[in-house]
This record gives sequence, structure tokens and C-alpha cells, in this order.
Amino acid sequence: MSAEVQPIIETLGLVKNFGRTRALDGLNLSVAVGEVHGFLGPNGAGKSTTLRVLLGLIRATSGTARVFGLDPWADPVRTHRDIAYVSGDVSLWPNLSGGEIIDLITGLRGGADENLRRDLIQEFEFDPRSKARTYSKGNRQKVALIAAFARPARLYLLDEPSAGLDPVMDAVFRRQIRRVSRDGATVLLSSHILSEVEQLCDRVTIIRSGTAVETGTLADLRHLNRTHFRVTGLADPSRLAGLPGTHGISIDGAAVDFDADATDLGAVLAGISEPGISALTVAPPSLESLFLRHYSDIDSGNSGGVK
Amino acid sequence: MPGVLRLARFQARRDRATLPVWILGISLLGFATSNAVVIQFGDEPSQAAILTLAASNPAFLFVRGLPDGTGAGAVVFFQGFAFMAVLAALMSTFLVVRHTRADEELGRAELLGAVPLQRAASLVATFLLGGAANLLLSVFVAAGFVAAGLPVAGAVGAGAAVGAVGVFFAGLGAVVAQVLPSGRSANGAAAGLVGVAYLLRGVGDALGSPAADLLHVSSAWPSLLSPIGWGQRSRPFTSPDLVTLLVLLAAALGLAAGAVMLRRVRDVGASLVPQRGGRERAGVGGTSFVGLAWRLQRATVAGWCIGAAVLGAVAGALGPLVSQTVSSVAPLKELISRLVPGGQAGLIDVFVTALLGVAGVFAAAAGIQAVLRMRAEEAEGRAEFLLAAPKSRGRWLGANLLIAAVSTVLVSGTTGVSAAVGLGLSGSANGPAVSVVPAALAHVPAALVFLAAAAVVFAFAPRFSVLLGWGMLAAGLVLGEFGELFGLPVWLQDISPFRHSSAMPVESFDPAGALVLALVAAALAGMAAYSIRRRDLTT
Repeated sequence: MSAEVQPIIETLGLVKNFGRTRALDGLNLSVAVGEVHGFLGPNGAGKSTTLRVLLGLIRATSGTARVFGLDPWADPVRTHRDIAYVSGDVSLWPNLSGGEIIDLITGLRGGADENLRRDLIQEFEFDPRSKARTYSKGNRQKVALIAAFARPARLYLLDEPSAGLDPVMDAVFRRQIRRVSRDGATVLLSSHILSEVEQLCDRVTIIRSGTAVETGTLADLRHLNRTHFRVTGLADPSRLAGLPGTHGISIDGAAVDFDADATDLGAVLAGISEPGISALTVAPPSLESLFLRHYSDIDSGNSGGVK
Repeated sequence: MPGVLRLARFQARRDRATLPVWILGISLLGFATSNAVVIQFGDEPSQAAILTLAASNPAFLFVRGLPDGTGAGAVVFFQGFAFMAVLAALMSTFLVVRHTRADEELGRAELLGAVPLQRAASLVATFLLGGAANLLLSVFVAAGFVAAGLPVAGAVGAGAAVGAVGVFFAGLGAVVAQVLPSGRSANGAAAGLVGVAYLLRGVGDALGSPAADLLHVSSAWPSLLSPIGWGQRSRPFTSPDLVTLLVLLAAALGLAAGAVMLRRVRDVGASLVPQRGGRERAGVGGTSFVGLAWRLQRATVAGWCIGAAVLGAVAGALGPLVSQTVSSVAPLKELISRLVPGGQAGLIDVFVTALLGVAGVFAAAAGIQAVLRMRAEEAEGRAEFLLAAPKSRGRWLGANLLIAAVSTVLVSGTTGVSAAVGLGLSGSANGPAVSVVPAALAHVPAALVFLAAAAVVFAFAPRFSVLLGWGMLAAGLVLGEFGELFGLPVWLQDISPFRHSSAMPVESFDPAGALVLALVAAALAGMAAYSIRRRDLTT
């Protein structure tokens, strides 16, 4: 990564307490200029709290947060000048129409690009005339997305932005991300939809219980992950346990499933090559399994600390 | 039925903090009033004195109610019943709307709509809760009266009267909730109807005919249109009349049945007043904090202005009528010429002054409501959406305070103009009728202090801003209306900003007082704008 350029977002040891609950626990996050950065974590991991700190809506208990090199708490107005934000739970004014709300938000940000606004409304198949009271979750989300994308920004902070969108609208959303990314904008995309992150993001940070547990490019993370094997016809499946780097062996009739560490793939392959095998499936490491490894409490014990 | 009971228990659990505050607050007001009456007006001569004074002053009758003979119980009922009935009515309408229309609007009703129960089950459960709350209220009010030393039978009757008014308004609130599309509009309309009930009773009582002994007044017909008037007619301490309370309960049952019928035939979320479509683009000012604040507040302000216009019209048009009624009773006429400076003409001024004072409370309430809108915006997540824009929180707060201040001026101004028109038409003003406009506006500085104080609470302790915002107004009202009765020390009474407004036209304008109030309001507003930047947004 381009180390000499100052990152757009940088947090160091960010801590946020709400009463006795610790929402953020020493979070380090760095997002470089022009990248689409995935921010993955389960519900309650601290994703929304992080975004609120980055906007200066709430104040960090300790640690530092810098956006464009500015302290968002001390100078929210300057920080917000180049930010577009979609909050996690979009709440609208029930008695205003969607069109009015889009104009309000873009107006406060300095005015919409009229062509963009028109195209977005068309692409999202959005009816700007209805009162917000009548909108479904997906339509409320569209209001926030159109308001965010209708005026170019240098940084897009998106908190689970595709929640409630159908697959067609989700595709429209992804097109918009690619468009702003092509134009050089930086995107921080919080999500727990892995396929979305896999498709869109250059780099990923995984957050759990308020701490970043992994960060890197998708290739980096895959390298650290395990490969899934399904083998049919092994003479003595229990022998697998003796091989280095194998985990979660389960026997299913004549077939056996297990995971293998990337570093031990050679030994594992040698170990299973015997004349009797009739079928072999090897699945590439998916973010899914990575995700599950980090989030399931059962597995958390043996997920060796990764830096 | 077990399902309905379960729903009722669930609703009661949701209200476990709210309802006790209402019930204890109302009974405490009853206890404090009776305690003060027992201590200060323990003997018959002093009771007779205050009743005579009241009977001679229609403004007093308008605000309080009907004198109904001597005896501590009767005096307490006369002094306190109308206020307690209004509070019971508000408790009940808020309760019903909270569990019906507001729940539907927020989508919670849909979750319950999927369980195997009748469509109106939740509404019936709300009636059970409303009935139980008012029964409890009756018991507590009665207990408070008894504790202060009033006769038990009368205390029970008075408690029942307060509860019966509450039950009536639970039924009315349910109908309103069926008809209007949002929780906010239903609450506003229902509270407006409570105001109308108080007003009709007030008009009826102010126009009432005093008996020759000046210890009793019997009200005129408008009071019959008001449920609060019916509750008052039960006269629990003098000649108990249970029929009036049964009429209220029967009316409540009728309204409840109507609401259930409406609920059975309509879709979830649908209302009789339909939802209109919106505009495609924001209008002029639709892209600024001030424009948004005005847009959100204008319907509410219009509601307050209608109330204020009615109040002003009553003050303007009724004043002369009242003075005629009073002067037809010879002993009263004599008494007034002794007590009221300016006699007959002065009486009109006293009446107008009292009603303008009530309008001042309206103005403060409208302003507080506008300030508290910010809390709703924050708690429901919309402030986060707004404040992610490159605009400071101070500006957001300032825009809302500006609209709040404009609201108070509009409400006061409307009162004044409508009173001036009334006085002009009835041709009975002392001097130019227009002079009542500045008299109404004289209450604006005190109202501004309330809304600025509410803003300070919002900036420091957002979660308490609704409670404290309205609580401060209630405290100001109690200090102003009951402070002397309770014999509170003067410095305590002086905390209420209302005490420092010029009560025109009886008093002359006090520029120094108005200036001090305005400065206090400005200082509080500045403090709020400064501190709002220093806290987290909280839901």
C-alpha cells in the first residue's frame, strides 16, 4: 500500500464507552486514499459506533480519530464538507416526501448535481412524491443512498447501505460504488454481507467486540485461511487427525469433511493421496469461513492470533 | 379474553414509569390543594370570604370552576377539580393514543396484528388499561383528600369524578386515534378537545348566575357541553349526584364501542383522514435548518394558534357579557364596586388579563413543544442524518430556537388580535381595543425563558428533556396558580417567569421586567448553543 500518502481515515487505539459497556476497545483502522474498504463485523461489534466517531457525532473516550487529517469531534463542519453518509438505520420525516428529504440533505451538503439526482432516482426506480411515512425499509434506504450519491464527495461512509434492497437495486448500488471509486473517492463500507464486500472491496478490516481482529487485502486474508476438503473413499479417515494442520474432521458415510491450514496443504495432499479415493472436492477459502471463524465463540479459542 | 388480558398487562408494563407519574402527580396536586384549604380557610367565615370573592370575579370562575357553598371539601373541589380533570383527561388520551395510533404508525401494531386475536383485541386491552389507570387514579385522589382531612364520602365521590372524566377522554381519544393518521396528530387533536372541554366549562361557569348569598354559582348552558362540566356537576361534597358520573361512563362506553367498530372495519395503518401525496421537490427554504424546523412545526403552531384565537375571542367577546351578568345581581354589583378598582369597567380588564395569562401559558407550551422536537429528531435517528452535513449543531439548535420563539410570538399575537376583534365588536373596551395586542405580547418574554430553559436541558441531559421541559412549565403553572394558595414563600413563587410578566391591562407594562426576562432567555439560549457541541448524540 502507498505508505507515503496520508490515509483518509486513521484511528489509533479508539475506545468508546457507553456507561459500563465498552463499544470500542482500542480500534485501529486505516483507510487509504481511493480504496474501497470493507468494514466487516457481526451485529454489535462496534461498526456503527466507529462511523459515528468518524463523523464527530459522538466523542471517543480515548484514542484518536482522524478523517482527512482532521479531528472530526473538534471540527465536524470542515470534516463533513467532503463526506457523504448513509446511516445504518435510516429514519426519515414521516410528513416530508422522499424528494423533499433528498433536497434537504443534499441542500445542507451544498447542493445536488441535478443530472446525478435525476439519474439516481430513475436508476433506483424511486418515487420521490410519496410521503416518507409510506416508505418500506428498502425505499427509506434509497432516500439515504440517493442523497449520498447525488453530490460527489471525497469520502463515502456507508453503514450497511444495501440492507433492505432487492437484488436488482443492490446491483444499482454496486454500480454507484464502482462509479465513485473510479472517480477517485474513498469508500468505507460497513457490512455483514460477505459477497458484497468480496465484490466491491480492495481491503477489509474485520472488527469484533470493538477491536480490529484482521485487516488486509482479500488475498492477504485468504492466505491466512483454511481450505475445505471433502474426500470420498479414504480407507481410514481417522488417520487424518494425525496429519498436521487439519481441523474439524467430520465423517459423513463414505465421505469425510475437514479443513486444512494453508501452510500445511502439501502435507495434507500427500496424506490423502491413496488408491481408494473416488471423489475429491477442494473449496477455496471463502470470506464466509473466515468470518465464521472469527465470530463463532466456539472457534475463537483456536483461531491463532493474526497480525 | 386471556389474550386481551395478556396484552393489557403488556401495555401496563410499557407504561410502568409513565402512569405512576401521572397518577401520583394528580393526587399530590389534590392533596396539596386540600391541605392548603384546610389550613388557610379552615373556618367558615374565611371560606365564605374566598367564595364571595370568586363569585364576584368571572375570570376566577372561568379559570377555576363553580363555588358551591362553604365547607373545606366544597372549597377544594371548586379550586382544584377543573385542573385535576384536565390532567386526568390528558393522561387518558395520551395513554390511548400511545397504544393505538402511535403503535400503528411505528409498525409495532403489525407485530401484534399477526397473533391469533381479534383485530380490535389490542384496542380493548387499551381500554382495560385506561379503565384501570383511572380507577387507580380515583382511589389515589380520594386517598389524598382523606389524608388532608376531608370527609371520606365526599373524597371518594370527588376521586370518582376525576376518574370518570378520565375514562370519558380515554373513549374520545380512541375515536380520534382511529380517525387521524399519525400519533402526533391524534395526540394534538385529542389534547385540543381536552382544551375545548375546559373552555366550554369555563365559559359556562363565567356566565353562570350567582345565588343571592354569593356562596354558590350555577353554571350556564355551555358547561353542559363539557365532560369536565358534567364531572363538576356531581358536587360530591355538597349534594352528591352520581347520575352525572354515570352519564360520563355511558358516553365513554359509547365512544369506546364506536372506536372498536371503526377498528374492525379498517386496514391496519389506514385512517379516515387519508394520507395525501407529497411534492416532488423541496420548496423555498426546504434545504435549510430553519426551513425544516418551520416545516415540521407549522401544523402544531397552527393548532396552538387556533386555541389561542378561541381564547382571545372568549376574552374579548365574553368580557362585556360577564360584566352584565354580574351587575344583574345587586349585592355583587356593590361588592365589585368596592373590590375591583374601576368597578364595572375594571371587571372586564380583570377578565381579559386572566385569559391573556392563560394564553401566555399556551405560548410557552407551543415554544417548548418546538424545542422538544429536536429531542424527537435525535432519539429517532434523524438528527444523525442531518448533522452528517457540513453544518454545525449550534446552527441546528439556533434554527429550532428561532422557530420556537416565532411560535410563541404567533400564539401570543393571535390571542391579542382575536381579543381585540372581540372587544371591538362588542364595543366595550376601555380605550382602544387594539391595546390588548401588546397586552398579549407582554407574556412573550416569560414564555421565551421556558423554551430557552428547555433547550438547556436538551443540551445537557437530552434523555430528560421531555420530562423536564414540560415539568418546568407545570411547575411554573403550579407556582403561579397555586403558589399563594399553598402559602409558598415569595422567593419560591418568584422563580416562575410568569410572575415577572406584566399582567396587562390591569397592570401597566414593566419594561425592566420584560428586559430581564429576555436577557435570561438569551443567556440560556447561548448556554444551550454552546453546550450542544459538547455531548454525544444519544438515542
